[in-house]
Amino acid sequence: MSAAALERQLRPIYDSLDTGSNKSAIVACNKLLKKHPNNDLLKALKALALVRSQKVEESLVLCDEILAAKPTDDAILTAMMHVLRGLGRQMDMISMFEEAFKQQPGNEDLGAQTFFANVRAGHWKTAQQIATRMHKQFQEDRYLYWSVISAVLQANDPSTPPAMRELLYKLAHRLITSATTPSYTNADRFHLHLSILRHLGLHEEAHKLLDHEAGKSICSTSLACNELRRDIWHADGRWAEEGALAESKIVEKKDRNWLEFLSMLDAVYPPNMADDDAAKTECSARIEHARSVFEAVAEKDGLKDRSGPLALLELERRARKHGCSNDPERLLNLLKSYFDKFGSKACCFEDVKPFIDFDGEVLANWTSYLQSKETSLTSLTGLQQRINIHKLLRYNLTASEINVESEASRATLYAKEYIDALPLGAELPVTELQPADDLAILAGSAYVSLWKISEDVKYLHCAATLLEFALTRSRQCYLIRLMLVRIYRLLGAPSVALEHYRGLNLKQVQHDTLSHILLSRASTFSLASTGDLTFATECLETSQIYVSNSQETADFVVRAFTQEKYSQIPEFIAFEDRLDNSLQRDTIKMEHVRMRFTHEAITSDIIDLELIELKFIFDRNHHDNRDFAIIPNYQPRSQLTFNEQTALFGKTDGLGWLLTFLKLYIRALQQASDLDDVVEEKLLIGDRPKQNLDPDTKLPLHERLRKRQDDQLSELSSDELTLLKYADDLADWLECYHDHIRPHPSVVLAEAAKQTELKTGHPLKGIELALQENGGANGNGHNKKDEEPPAAKEPPEGVVQFFDSIKSRFAAAQNSSPVEALHVATLAQEAFIFLTVETQRFKPASVVKVHKLGPLVQSVKALRANAIAALKEISAALAKQADLEATADKRKDFIDSCSAVMTTEIDHDFVFGVAKRVTDSRKKVLDGVGKGIVRVCSSYL
Amino acid sequence: MCACTCLFSAHSALKSSCRNLDLWTETYGISFYLSYLSRWPDLCCVQEAPNGRMMGYILGKAEGQGNEWHGHVTALTVAPEYRRLSLARKMIDLLEFVSDEMYKGFFVDLYVRCTNNLAIDMYEGMGYSVYRRVREYYGSLGIGKGGRDEEDAFGEFKPRYHPYAHPP
Repeated sequence: MSAAALERQLRPIYDSLDTGSNKSAIVACNKLLKKHPNNDLLKALKALALVRSQKVEESLVLCDEILAAKPTDDAILTAMMHVLRGLGRQMDMISMFEEAFKQQPGNEDLGAQTFFANVRAGHWKTAQQIATRMHKQFQEDRYLYWSVISAVLQANDPSTPPAMRELLYKLAHRLITSATTPSYTNADRFHLHLSILRHLGLHEEAHKLLDHEAGKSICSTSLACNELRRDIWHADGRWAEEGALAESKIVEKKDRNWLEFLSMLDAVYPPNMADDDAAKTECSARIEHARSVFEAVAEKDGLKDRSGPLALLELERRARKHGCSNDPERLLNLLKSYFDKFGSKACCFEDVKPFIDFDGEVLANWTSYLQSKETSLTSLTGLQQRINIHKLLRYNLTASEINVESEASRATLYAKEYIDALPLGAELPVTELQPADDLAILAGSAYVSLWKISEDVKYLHCAATLLEFALTRSRQCYLIRLMLVRIYRLLGAPSVALEHYRGLNLKQVQHDTLSHILLSRASTFSLASTGDLTFATECLETSQIYVSNSQETADFVVRAFTQEKYSQIPEFIAFEDRLDNSLQRDTIKMEHVRMRFTHEAITSDIIDLELIELKFIFDRNHHDNRDFAIIPNYQPRSQLTFNEQTALFGKTDGLGWLLTFLKLYIRALQQASDLDDVVEEKLLIGDRPKQNLDPDTKLPLHERLRKRQDDQLSELSSDELTLLKYADDLADWLECYHDHIRPHPSVVLAEAAKQTELKTGHPLKGIELALQENGGANGNGHNKKDEEPPAAKEPPEGVVQFFDSIKSRFAAAQNSSPVEALHVATLAQEAFIFLTVETQRFKPASVVKVHKLGPLVQSVKALRANAIAALKEISAALAKQADLEATADKRKDFIDSCSAVMTTEIDHDFVFGVAKRVTDSRKKVLDGVGKGIVRVCSSYL
Repeated sequence: MCACTCLFSAHSALKSSCRNLDLWTETYGISFYLSYLSRWPDLCCVQEAPNGRMMGYILGKAEGQGNEWHGHVTALTVAPEYRRLSLARKMIDLLEFVSDEMYKGFFVDLYVRCTNNLAIDMYEGMGYSVYRRVREYYGSLGIGKGGRDEEDAFGEFKPRYHPYAHPP
C-alpha cells in the first residue's frame, strides 16, 4: 500500500482519538497493524488509545518498543509526547527528543522540542545547554535569551546550591551582553536583562540602560519594568531621587498610583536613616514637605480620590513609629477628617482599620466622635455611614465590653436597623447587592459571638435565620452564603451547608482557594458508608482543577518561551507549583481517603494504591493557598475572628493536621501492604515527584512517621488526638508480626510479574533482574520463615480500653451538640477501620498456622468483638437522636429560640422553613452515620 | 480611588478568586488567564488597596488586521466594596494608554451585557458608544424576564486615532 493510502486510513484513528472513542481507535489500529506490523506511528497511536483507556501495562509494552527504535518522525514524536505525558514519564520524553535531535542535528524544530521537554520537567541546566547549542547553530537571538533565562531559572531553583547561583547569574549576564541587538528592543528582554543586573548588583550598568531613551520609554508603559527600575534605585540608596520622581508624577501628571505615594513616603523615612538628632531634623523637614504635597493633593482631589488623605494618615503613622511626630492629636484629627469625607463610602472601614488600634483616652475620644455622628437610615449615604460607624466601633470593643447582655443588645440593634434600611434597596434589580447587607452580616457576626460566649445554640439559630432572610433579599450576596456554610456545619446540618456552598457557584481556581469552607473535616458528615457519595464526589470534583493545572500550565510556560514573554515564565512556574503542591489539594485527598475506606472493601489493591499516593504527598513542599480573608470578619480585635470562631471543634486544620493524618495512614497502610521501597521502585510507572528540600524529609521514613510535633498536634481536636494515640499503640503492637510475615520483595515482584503477564501477554520489564539481585539462588523468598516468629504479646492497654472509653466520650459529646456526636462517632468508626487494616494480614488460616499466630488472633478477635459492640451502641444512640430531630417539638424549639430576630418580615412561616431544613438535615446525617457504622462493622466481621 | 496599580501575575489568578463570586464577572479557567499573560501581560493589571486587598483587575488584548488593529477589554471587575471610586476608569485609562503607546492600536473595544445598565452608563461616560449587538454572547444567566436579552452583549468601541491617519 502506498504511503498516501496509509495516511488516509490513519485519519479515522486520529478522529476517534480526538473524540475520545478510544475503543474504536484501538480496533482500527489493530486492524492496520496486521498489514503493517512494524509501523511505529500505528503503535504510538495504539499506545495513546490504551493509555487513555487506563490500560497502562499494555501501553507500556508498546511504548518501550517504539522508544527503542529511536523515532525522528514528527507524527510519531507528537503521539508519543501525549502517551508519555499520560504515563507521567517526563524523563522518557526528554530522552526521546534528545535522541531524535542527535540524529537530525539540523532540525530546528526538534531542537526546540527537546528544549521544551526539558522545560516541562524543570531541567534548566540541560535546557540551557540545548538553547546555547541552538543559538550557535541557528543564529537566532531568541535562543540566546532562552539560554539566559534557563540559567536564571536554574539559579532560582531551590535545589541549586547557593554558591552555584552566583555563577549562574554571571553566566546569564555574560550571555545577555553578548547579544548582537540591545535588550531594550523588547520589553521582556529588557526586563530579563534588568533582573540579572539587579541580582548581581551591577547598578551602574542598569542605570545606563534605564537612562537610555528606549529604556525610559519601556518603563513608562511596562509596569513590570518600572517595578524593577524602582527596586534598583532603592537598592542603590536612591530613595530621594525616587521620591522626587514620584512627586513629579503625582503633582504634574496627576498620577494617583499608590505605589508613587509609597515611593514618596519611603523617601521621607529611608531605611538607612541615621538615629541621631541631625537626621531627625532633616527628617522633620522632609515630613513637612511631604505633608504640604499630600495636603495639596487632598485639597485638589476632594471626594474624587482617597490617595491624598490616606497618604497623610500613613505619613503620620510612620512619623509616630520613628518618633518624629510633634502633634499627639494629629492622627486622630486626620482620621476624623477622613471619616467626614469618606465615611459614606463602603471602603472606609478597610481604609482606616490599619490606623485605629487605639486604647485609653485616645480610644475614648475616637469612640465618642463616632457616636456623636448623626446619621439617618433614610438615605444611602446615611446608611453607609451608619454601617461604617458600627464596624469601626465594634472593631475596638474591649474584652470587658463584650458580654451576653451587651452583645445581645448590639445584635438586636444591627438586626433592627437592617430591617429598617431594607426599603432603600427595594427598587434594585434582583441581581444587585442590597445596600443594607452589611447590617445583616454584622448582626450575624454578633449572634455567632454570642454563641461563642454563652455556648447557647439558640444564637446560632438566630444567626442562621436572619442571614437566610437577608439572602432572600440579596440573592447574590456571597458573603452571607459563606457565613451560612460555616454556621450550618456547626449546627450539624451538612446538606444545607452544601446547598449554600453550591450556591456560591465556585469555578476553576476558586476550588483551591475556597473549598476549605465546606470540605475541611468533611468526613465527619460523610455518608459514604451508606453508599451516599455526595461529599466524596464533591472532593473529586473539586480536585479537577489540579488535573487541569498539571495538564495545562506547563504548556503555557512553553508558550511564554515561544512568545518571548520572559517576565511571565518564573510566575507561571511558581503558579504551577503552588497549585500542584497545594495544601488544600492534599487535605481534600486525605478527607477522600477517609471517606473511601468507609465505602469500599479494603483490599490490598486499594491499600497499595493509597499508600503510594499518600507517601508522595508526604514528601511535598506544601503551599497554603486557602483564602480566609474573604470570610467577613467584623468581630472586635480583642476576640477571635469569625473564621476562628466557626472552625469545627474550635480547631482550624492546616499543614500540621494534614501531616499528622498522613503519618497515621501511611504507617497503617505500610504495615498492611507488601510493597516495600524496593518493590515500589520497580513497579512505579511515572516519574517520582521532585524531592522536598526540608531536612526532615532526609530522615528514614519510619522515623518520620513516628515523629510527633506539638505544633502539628495543636491543630487536632482532643478526640482526634485520642484516635492518634490509639492508632500509634496499635501499630507499635503489631509491627513485629507484619515485618515477620511480609513476603520478601522478590516474591512480591514475581507475583506482580505473573499478573502482568496474564493481563498483557508480556513479561514485566526489569523484574528478572530484580529477582536475580534479591532472590538469589533460593528465590523462593521463604528465607525469613526460618526465623522463629515473634512471641505473642498482649495488646497494649490503650488499644484494649479505647472502644470502652470512646463509648462514654460519645455519650458526653451527644449531650453537647450533634456535630460533636458525629465527630466522635466517625472517629470511632475510623478506629475500627484502622483495626481492620492492621489485622487483615493475620486472617488466612494458613498464615496463622505457619507463623503460629494463634494467641495473637485470639486477642484481635476479642478486640474486634469489643469494638463492634461499642460501635453498635453508638449507632443505636445516633438512630435514637435522629428520630428526635425531625419532630414538631424540635422545630418548635428552634422557632422559639429565634424569637429575638422575628419581625413582621421574618415571620413564623419563614423561621419554620429554616427550622425544618436544619432538623431534616440533622436527622438525615445522624441516621445515616449511625446506619453506616453498622454496615462498616458487618463488612469486616 | 487609591490603588497600587500592579502587574497581573499568575498568582493574581489565585488571589482574584473572591472577586469573581460576583454575578457579572465570568470566572475563567487557568488556560484563559495564562493565555492572556503569555501574550499581552502589559494589557493586564490589578488594583490593590494599600492594605493589600485586591480591589479589581482588567485583562485585555490586542487584535485585528490592518485598520482593525485595536485593543480589546476582555474582563474588568471591581469588588463591591470598592465600587463608585472610579477604579474602572483608571484601569481603562491604563489599557488605552498601553494600547496606544505600545501596540499602536486604532481604537479600543469591549463587550458588555445588555442588561448591565450601570456598566453601560459608565462606558458611555468614558466616551464609548455601542456599535453592534451580539446575540447570546454570554451564557450563564439563561433566559430571564427580558427574554433572550440577558445573554446578549453590546459591542462598544472608542476611537483612539483616525483609522486612516496612521496606516498600520
